[in-house]
Amino acid sequence: MTIRGEAPGERSAGAGDDLTLLLSRIAGRDAAAFSTLYKRTSAKLYGVVARILTRGDVAADVLQEVYVRIWEKAGEFDPVRGSPLAWMATIARNRALDEVRRVRPVSLEDQPAGFEPAAEDIDPLAARERSEGLTALVDCLKALDEEKRAVVLLAYYRGLSREALAKRFGRPVPTIKTWLHRSLAQLRDCLAS
Amino acid sequence: MTISPDDDFAAAEYALGTLDASERATLAARRLREPELDESISAWEERLAPLAEATPEIEPPRDLLPAIEARIRGASPEAPGGAAVVTLERSVRRWRAMAIAASVLAGVLAIGFVAREATRQSAPREYVAILQKDAASPAIEVTVNLDKQELTVRPVAAQAPPGKAYELWIIDAKLGAPRSLGVIGDGPRGASLSAYDPAVVAGATYAVTVEPPGGSPTGQPSGTPVFVGKLIPVSP
Repeated sequence: MTIRGEAPGERSAGAGDDLTLLLSRIAGRDAAAFSTLYKRTSAKLYGVVARILTRGDVAADVLQEVYVRIWEKAGEFDPVRGSPLAWMATIARNRALDEVRRVRPVSLEDQPAGFEPAAEDIDPLAARERSEGLTALVDCLKALDEEKRAVVLLAYYRGLSREALAKRFGRPVPTIKTWLHRSLAQLRDCLAS
Repeated sequence: MTISPDDDFAAAEYALGTLDASERATLAARRLREPELDESISAWEERLAPLAEATPEIEPPRDLLPAIEARIRGASPEAPGGAAVVTLERSVRRWRAMAIAASVLAGVLAIGFVAREATRQSAPREYVAILQKDAASPAIEVTVNLDKQELTVRPVAAQAPPGKAYELWIIDAKLGAPRSLGVIGDGPRGASLSAYDPAVVAGATYAVTVEPPGGSPTGQPSGTPVFVGKLIPVSP
């Protein structure tokens, strides 16, 4: 049920540094830097929000809000705490999750153009190029049972709630909650070791 | 780290995205006031964030960048000047006068409610909360007068985005999900605090979210609060 996760966000060693520089210029209200940042990262962030929101018009609105927020918060980015792309993706996911919980359960109809979710499950384990952070996380994910790993990945990439996961995996909600807590604790301990 | 295991799991699920709307809104409000919870959520977000690298790209619609740039140009870079955030020390009497004056200018939402008898005569009767993200930001002032049975909301240099409305929520563990106290600037509403124990009213967290005109269609906060705060007693 997997296809490969393609195109790691940072294609060369210098890409993250470039984005960090762009964010610091944006924090100084540099509109040209913002335009460059948008062109470099919008397809990635749209990939993040569109998989959670599934409705193209809603995903486009949310993407706009995400970039307005990036413009406002660029000065808060701390390169010590993660890559620029990870920081931006977190903003994008949080906004998309707020929206999808507000509207209704995820529907598989009404997909954004060019997006065929039926054929898609993102598998970071198959990603060929990985940052140090993703490599460590993937190693820890490999230690989870396959089904529990699938729960975590579907929650992350598709924004599924406990209820939606319960339906998808044919398990009671409390079971999913227990799985999530065990899996997350295991990931935390593994990443700390 | 002093955070409880339950809160740490809630933080983990917040970061992963599996919480429902009300759990999400509650945690989003709490993280603005609880640094340890905020740190726990950030730590979980950082643990999971590398997964985003593996997300395949999708080209967004072409016309978005100009729209975003227009919004950025329209946004004021700093908090608007003018109306200063009121200080908490001033007398209740003076506050009342200001609130009446402000009501003419800003539109004040007054919600009548029937307060139960306070258990102790000496308990504070007047409370104020300044809801804001940080000291330099616009704010919303909430005051509760248990004697007069009034809850009053006053925006201080805060204005909802065009086509949107601010909605006020009361959040407390004893209440379960956040409860709406009405849309700010929408005139007096039937929403009442009579259902709430004065101890809950005094101890709850108050939060404001951006909603469609008329308020959240789901009855639950639509997103992360833009303003949040707790009541503190005001000495008469």
